[in-house]
Amino acid sequence: MTTKKPSRLSYLLKPIVRENAVLILMIGLCPTLATTTSARDALGMSAAASFVLIFSNVVISLVRKFVQPSIRIPIFIIIISTFVTIIDYALQAYQPSLYRVLGVFVPLIVVNCIILGRAEAFAYGHGVFDSFLDGLGNSLGFTLLLVVMGSVREFFAVGTIFGKVVTPAWYRSAPMLFMIFPPGAFFLIGILKALVAKFKLDKA
Amino acid sequence: MNSKTWMVVSLLITCLAAGFALSEVYAVTKPKIEQQKVDATNSALSQVLVTAQSFKEIEKDSLWYGLDQSGAKTGIVTRSGLRGYGGPVPVLVGLDLTGRIVGLKVASAAEGMKETPGLGLKATEDWFARQFVGLDSATALKKEGGTIDAISGATITSRAVARGVAQAIRKYSEHLKP
Repeated sequence: MTTKKPSRLSYLLKPIVRENAVLILMIGLCPTLATTTSARDALGMSAAASFVLIFSNVVISLVRKFVQPSIRIPIFIIIISTFVTIIDYALQAYQPSLYRVLGVFVPLIVVNCIILGRAEAFAYGHGVFDSFLDGLGNSLGFTLLLVVMGSVREFFAVGTIFGKVVTPAWYRSAPMLFMIFPPGAFFLIGILKALVAKFKLDKA
Repeated sequence: MNSKTWMVVSLLITCLAAGFALSEVYAVTKPKIEQQKVDATNSALSQVLVTAQSFKEIEKDSLWYGLDQSGAKTGIVTRSGLRGYGGPVPVLVGLDLTGRIVGLKVASAAEGMKETPGLGLKATEDWFARQFVGLDSATALKKEGGTIDAISGATITSRAVARGVAQAIRKYSEHLKP
């Protein structure tokens, strides 16, 4: 039996929905639930995480031949935390209002399971370009999910999307406020997961 | 090089490279970050003392003179952080030259206020701060003989704010009282 080598395009496309780290593997839930109270914050969070994910994937893939298996985890963590600190400084300097909202979730990108997971499962064993594609694909999947969640929660709880008014005044005077609280996040991710599961079952 | 030595050396190289990269980024962003902090402080200060064009720091992070365009004093702003229920409660108080409170701002949750949401955090709401505006003598809660309505279920937080304001008025008499 011959196994077909997966195509490069699939590295990029699969993690967007079909193998979305949050929806299918249920990892990286912490920032997904906590920072999606508005579309803008969700986009900021996923941009920061994407920066770290893509660069750490590329750098780890570059140095993988020199890293012994027994000390790979400390080296991954040093590389990841370096990029996290860079984005942390950059946000403080250029986007202070976003930094205040994201707060502790920026430093917590260091222990984001998606990033360490891709380093361990993909970048450590693949070439630089493939790792870049994988990082980009996973970033797109993460960003897509966070922005969808942020938009839906903001829509129901505040009546706006990206701060733009999209609902009539009678709705905004008594919105579904619970969507902005933690239960709303659990509720929404449950619905999204069910939708993706149904879509996959129908296809199989 | 045997594998154990290489283990140590490779970790060392990684740390050195990471340290070097971070020191470069730090050097580039540090002046920007400090500028942002100054801007944030100034905008909070001008919210509680609207007559001032600029502020001069007298005591680090706790006392400022407000100055108008010609550089004359228009009042003072103090910051106090007395212990509430969950930690210090940061309060900015602006007083004009006669010692009357003209503005009061309790820091929001994002600015370091750690009181309980729904109880102590209500101290950041407008109606609570407005009670203090216009007063010029020591403030206290009603149950302690003063005039301030405490927040239901959050006496400790309310008291921290009231005592912070009383402290501001004492600072005024030390610094500005004619």
